[in-house]
Amino acid sequence: MSSLNYLLSRLLQIVPTFLIVMIFIFVLVRLLPGDPALAMADAKATDAQLEIVRQSLGLDKPLPIQFAIFLRHTLSGDLGQSILMKQPVLDVIMSRLPATAFLTIYSVALAMLIAGPLAFVSAIKHDRPADLAIRSIFQVGLSSPVFYVGLVLLTVLAAKLRWFPVGGYGTSFFDRLYHLILPALTVAFYTSAIILRNLRASLIEVLDAEFVQFARAKGLSPRIILTRHVLRNALISTVTLLGLSIGNLMSGTLITETVFAVPGVGRLMLEAIFARDYPLIQGLTLVFCVIVSIVFLLTDMVQTWLDPRLRPR
Amino acid sequence: MPQRPSAPFGKGRNIMKFRTLLASAVALGALAVLPAQALERGGSMTFARYDDSTLIDPVYADRNPDIWMVPNLYDTLLHTGADGKTIEPGLAESHAVAPDGLSITFKLRADAKFSDGTPLTGDDVVFSLDRARDPKLGPWAGLLGAVKTVSADGNVVTLSLAHPDPALISILATFNTAIVSKAAFAAAPGTTDQEKAKALFAKQPVSSGPFVLKERQAGSRMVFERNPYYWQPGEDGKPLPYLDRIEFLLIPDDATRILKLQAGEVDAAEFIPFSRVAELKADPNLDMELFPSTRIIYAPINTRSAFKDGTKNPMADVRVRQALNYATNKDTLVKLVTFGTGQPMTSLMSASTQLHYGDTPLYPYDLEKAKTLLKEAGLAQGTKIKFTTLAGSADDATMFTALQQMWSQAGIDLQVEQVDGPTRSDKNRSGDFQIHTYGWVNDVNDPAQVTGWLGYYPLRQAVGTGWNNPEFNKLYETSNTEIDPKKRADEYKRMQEIYAAEAPLLFLYETPFAVALSKKVHDYVQTPLGANEFATAWREK
Repeated sequence: MSSLNYLLSRLLQIVPTFLIVMIFIFVLVRLLPGDPALAMADAKATDAQLEIVRQSLGLDKPLPIQFAIFLRHTLSGDLGQSILMKQPVLDVIMSRLPATAFLTIYSVALAMLIAGPLAFVSAIKHDRPADLAIRSIFQVGLSSPVFYVGLVLLTVLAAKLRWFPVGGYGTSFFDRLYHLILPALTVAFYTSAIILRNLRASLIEVLDAEFVQFARAKGLSPRIILTRHVLRNALISTVTLLGLSIGNLMSGTLITETVFAVPGVGRLMLEAIFARDYPLIQGLTLVFCVIVSIVFLLTDMVQTWLDPRLRPR
Repeated sequence: MPQRPSAPFGKGRNIMKFRTLLASAVALGALAVLPAQALERGGSMTFARYDDSTLIDPVYADRNPDIWMVPNLYDTLLHTGADGKTIEPGLAESHAVAPDGLSITFKLRADAKFSDGTPLTGDDVVFSLDRARDPKLGPWAGLLGAVKTVSADGNVVTLSLAHPDPALISILATFNTAIVSKAAFAAAPGTTDQEKAKALFAKQPVSSGPFVLKERQAGSRMVFERNPYYWQPGEDGKPLPYLDRIEFLLIPDDATRILKLQAGEVDAAEFIPFSRVAELKADPNLDMELFPSTRIIYAPINTRSAFKDGTKNPMADVRVRQALNYATNKDTLVKLVTFGTGQPMTSLMSASTQLHYGDTPLYPYDLEKAKTLLKEAGLAQGTKIKFTTLAGSADDATMFTALQQMWSQAGIDLQVEQVDGPTRSDKNRSGDFQIHTYGWVNDVNDPAQVTGWLGYYPLRQAVGTGWNNPEFNKLYETSNTEIDPKKRADEYKRMQEIYAAEAPLLFLYETPFAVALSKKVHDYVQTPLGANEFATAWREK
């Protein structure tokens, strides 16, 4: 199978996933108690006003028909109108997506920057005091709730020491790097703990592997051994882990974005759920599903690049 | 406020006395030297909001974050005074109600202009009011239900009415009757009124209020700039507003909003949780303001003879409802939930509402009376009552815990049911509840709205309680066309008496609007109706 065919077959596999997710979310959202017409029309509305709202949302139609309409519109790229924002769902999501993307990439980069070198130190100083110290710090990272870490960072680094802004999103690229450092650190705190644990374990395994001992015996320079043999092999599982945790990372932004006032899709999801904004919840879920699928696909491709044994023949 | 520890006796006491004298002398000297705070024009302020505006248009604004911003961008014929009870001239410099109450004429100011410099005319008023009363457009059209026609002759606008409506004067000071530019609307892209309104809002609309919308990033920030053509003079004789610019930042998290204010990154933060008020009051850099509001917190009691599941409802008996009110120590709740910032309800409406009647808290705590009433009603000890609260609300959780403890002394076993907002509204509408938490803020500076909401059965079954009192309903209907202010006040007094005696609610408390501002900001107002008003605000440089 050529690489192109492989890519196409993987893309085709995504289609049924989407369909299942769409049915699932459509039903799930409607199982939520509470009336979206009420959430939209304000508690003060009369029953007649509510009926008008229900009709305008198509909520008076039977569920299968509502689903058919939803499916038809979605396939033609129309995710409907947001009840809360009074704008097309796709426009709302697209205006909020860049902030989340920026924050997620920033967090992953920070997490790698933190976890990478520390994992090396930990692996090389395996079971010695330095390793134990690093591991215990990150055990704290793993077990601390995201909102709590966020609030502590805010109170100490922003409000008390005034090193960073308390919240907001910034306007230019560097301004954003500056504004988003605390939320990115908050998310990275947890992610780096996971990466560290995994990378440390695979580094220890690879460093002990026969092919590395063989390379040493051949007299290869430590730099070449590290980059060509150790790192490449140790990173395979880390890449998989990062790919798999992208869903986690995005759900982490739900809280981080609220605490740090970042106008991203995580906070949007929270607002949409509280307002029973069906079209927006559905649209957001679909977009999350697309992103996670793309990330999984990319993960697979990077994995095959790192590990030739996985390549399609 | 905690009392200062008293000074010790003897020598120490004299030293304290001397120090106090010295301090007083220094303070007096400073006062003599310092000039009175002089108003400063220009500059910018930043304001941290709890929620974003989605569409600030008089007719389509339907959520508080939209409604409360309308007066900054759009002006009304009349204004509501800062106390929430008085009506002042606005775009109309004078108005007259015909003796039969069937028409009202308004004389528009000659100097009123839109933000693009074009004059504001009678045509714009006719266009705006016709739009505001079109039931196909906004949810608030019913407020102008009495209006038959709106016409203009030069700068005189006449409203002809189908029947007298004493609330109309207040309604013409309400956001949905604000004046928009007919020409700007006609020129806006789109075919329907709603499309045009959205297009206008998206692109820096022409407006009639003290400010214009300059910039907006949905979910993040919004910038208002001074309308250079605004008519209303400030204290210095020159037109309002004093500020050149206001930047609104959206920060939904309470703790973050406060941190941002304390770090000096914003000049003001709204919706300060009451638990933080004392701390911010003690901050020397901040002014912790508690603006009087029409916000009331109450618990509707289901008064139907049976609950939704068919079981008999003990609260159908008025004595049980009164007993629950007596068994509730409201002062304690005010301390626990509002940290002392609130005050017990004295009527079905807040004390800042027009025609409010009642100067003492309803049903002061009296456990013995509660027990006697419950006994008379034949209520068994250990009767279970389900209290529906909002999941995740710290206030509701505190209230439940306190009530459970208070009512257990009267022999009632209070049980909790936690739901989210939409579910609670659903339960209220369908009558599927026993007693639940709720709140209200007036949108109109007239008692008709809140009274209709809480007590008039045909409207919403008296806030969902199912309470149906013919005398109250009749009085409400009569008062809605009563043009004699004295008679209307009497009708409202009687309605408030009936309501208090019948207790379809657990009367809880009123709370203020808590806004914390930097000491540099002066004269910002949040009205009792909730509107954020920046026209007279100014900031020291």
